[in-house]
Amino acid sequence: MRIAIAGKGGTGKTTIAGTLARVLARRERGGREVLAIDADTNPNLASVLGIAGDQARDIVGMPRTLMERRTSEDGTTKTVFAADPETVLREYGVVGPDGVRLMVMGRVGHGGAG
Amino acid sequence: MCSAHATVRGFLGEIAARGVSDRHIIVDMEAGLEHLSRGTGRHVSRLVAVLEPYYRSMETARNVAALATELGIGDVVVVANKVRDDADRTAIADFCRAHGMRLVGEVPFDGALAEVERSGRAPIDAAPESAAVRAISALAERLGELASGT
Repeated sequence: MRIAIAGKGGTGKTTIAGTLARVLARRERGGREVLAIDADTNPNLASVLGIAGDQARDIVGMPRTLMERRTSEDGTTKTVFAADPETVLREYGVVGPDGVRLMVMGRVGHGGAG
Repeated sequence: MCSAHATVRGFLGEIAARGVSDRHIIVDMEAGLEHLSRGTGRHVSRLVAVLEPYYRSMETARNVAALATELGIGDVVVVANKVRDDADRTAIADFCRAHGMRLVGEVPFDGALAEVERSGRAPIDAAPESAAVRAISALAERLGELASGT
């Protein structure tokens, strides 16, 4: 499944998203990978997934430089994702308990990359 | 302008376009509507709007659901969270019915979970038998059934 979870702040959507990811991963038992994407500008999905300590501190958010401005022949410009997504997954994704892979899109705290 | 939103959108678009689809993908969106209004949810096949049994939360979910539908996410469902009693249950069911929203799951209010989250641990590790974790597990089952069309 490919789902987005939304709602007002504090509704517990992160708890539901992270726990769903772990449950799905256990059902797959090494079958299909579960990719959890934290698209919040104040990311905290990692702890719900059980990614903690050094591993959590080392998470780097996907940099905006992966987007590139391209000008087409008719002179219009558009911004496109200019990297190979599989490479990006390997580079920025962190694998946590039950094999869930976490990608963080927003700003990461702890004075890390912004 | 290149924002974090654009990066998420671009990444999801690439994954969708290249058929890197033998994965389950779960996106935890930013609170509120901004992500959606910028089209971040465009590449998911289902949007789950989480709401709590109080008016502003239900209103936000209603706006999220309406916007998602407008953006062409055909499959918008609602999950109620932190439900304490039948009064909560009725309020949510009534609200969803009045606004044509499809309620597919319910997670109870669970004091054990609040405690676990304060400590920064994963609910599924620290409170695997809690009512909330069991309900989310049932929700995974339900969402899977919906995905396969049953």
